[in-house]
Amino acid sequence: MAFDLEPIIYPIGNMAENYENKRKVMLSGDQSVIELRQVQKKYAPEIVTLEEADLTISKGEFVFLTGPSGAGKSTLLRMLYKAEEPTGGSIIIDGVELSSLSKSQIPGLRRKVGVIFQDFKLLFNKTVFENVALSLEVLGLKKDQLSARVRQVVEGVGLSDKLHRKVIQLSGGEQQRVAIARAVVNRPPIILADEPTGNLDRKRTLEVVALMEELNARGATIMFATHDETLFKDTHRRVLRLKDGKIEEL
Amino acid sequence: MPLGIIFKRALRDIRQNLVTHIMTTIVVALTCLVFIFFSVFSLNLQRIADHFGKELAIVVYLKKDLSQEMIPSLYQKIMGMEGIDSVRFVSSEEAFKRLEKYFKDEKEVLEGVDPLFLPPSFEIQIDKAVYNPGRVRSIAEKLTHWPEVQKVQYGKDWVDRLESFSKAVKAAVVASAVLLLVMAAFVVSNTIKLTVYARQDEIEIMRLVGATNGFIQGPFLLASFLQGAVGSLTAIFAGLFCYEYVLNIITQTELIRSLNIQFLPLLNMFTIVIVSGIFCMAGTAMALRRFLTL
Repeated sequence: MAFDLEPIIYPIGNMAENYENKRKVMLSGDQSVIELRQVQKKYAPEIVTLEEADLTISKGEFVFLTGPSGAGKSTLLRMLYKAEEPTGGSIIIDGVELSSLSKSQIPGLRRKVGVIFQDFKLLFNKTVFENVALSLEVLGLKKDQLSARVRQVVEGVGLSDKLHRKVIQLSGGEQQRVAIARAVVNRPPIILADEPTGNLDRKRTLEVVALMEELNARGATIMFATHDETLFKDTHRRVLRLKDGKIEEL
Repeated sequence: MPLGIIFKRALRDIRQNLVTHIMTTIVVALTCLVFIFFSVFSLNLQRIADHFGKELAIVVYLKKDLSQEMIPSLYQKIMGMEGIDSVRFVSSEEAFKRLEKYFKDEKEVLEGVDPLFLPPSFEIQIDKAVYNPGRVRSIAEKLTHWPEVQKVQYGKDWVDRLESFSKAVKAAVVASAVLLLVMAAFVVSNTIKLTVYARQDEIEIMRLVGATNGFIQGPFLLASFLQGAVGSLTAIFAGLFCYEYVLNIITQTELIRSLNIQFLPLLNMFTIVIVSGIFCMAGTAMALRRFLTL
């Protein structure tokens, strides 16, 4: 594997700069990168997904988030990259209170948080290269810089021989690896994985877990949502269970 | 974000939906062509009105009992007014001679008539460089109030009608311009919306990986600007072609040739291209707003 999580040199736009400035002001000196304070998420009228949840995840941690289907794992992750808003409490990512972010600062947050989606969210009629490059294109990287970086990461997930294949021609496991490559290609310090092994067989599942462990070993903070208990049965990692709106530590 | 990337993405969008974009550009071109037709008509109507208006003279009839010594000072006074090109004095005798000339073979009707019965007058030509119907009226009104003056004639009705017709045509051109440009913008924004629908997945993913609204909107806005600009440019060329063709036919008559009918000035053409592009871009920006909530 050839992952490199040194921060990428972004051609920083205003919004990324704003986000960084806000982070410097708000960082309190501790090493927590994800923090939930009394977070509440309710859907009208009576569906409670999260109830006054508190959580702190430190820099470089690898945390499993588990719970039955429908417990709200995806909702919790979506709130962390501001695709959804909590109905109460506050969420702090890398020192920044998310409710204080303006619309123009949200892209800055999302560049710091790589997300691996359960349904991959890939463009199936585009090639592996084009899919992975999308995360760098939005940063305005130059063509040669972008190309080198994409090739390096695609090699890291073991798909260099399929770089110019359309995603639709790949197997489920390969597609998941493309999704991982896209999430990490811009070297985000936080990676959120939402059931990344949900559609994979055992062998591919273990490959994905190994990939995530390697990213973690290189410094990324990882939150790995899964309902597959075998993945963390014998692990030394922290495991959080989401049940009835509460986060329990196992 | 570098303009190069926006340009590349815009061209890719156009290439992927080439037929739709070509059809839209044709609609924009036809819309602009209608506007160009009205503009050329209005411009030349104004030119014709000016052409004939400049030939108008003001005739100032003087009181019959005015002494001859007053004539030179009155002449100087009129020449001193702003916007006067030339002044000619027509004595009562000269006016009578003109009348005789007018009657030609029926001169006998003037037999026994006092040759001094017609009042002396001044014929005033307005300076063509500063001509406008309002100026003619204002000079005529000033002259009416002079004590030496009996009556002033200047083709008032003609000037007034010309002025109001010219204003109405100008207003119609402005209204049609706004209406047609709004229509073009509507067509273009709907085409762009179709492209956005087709690429909704990609837009969602771009948002999730940290794309700014500018990055997402930029290519769509550029594509719509290009459609507006290319459409109007096509219309200008088509209009120019029609103009040359029609001109060759109608200038076979001496009268039309003397009117010197012209196409739009370069500045107007440039303005049409830019304004059309901006209208199409603004229409698209409004259409995109609801697709781009974070």
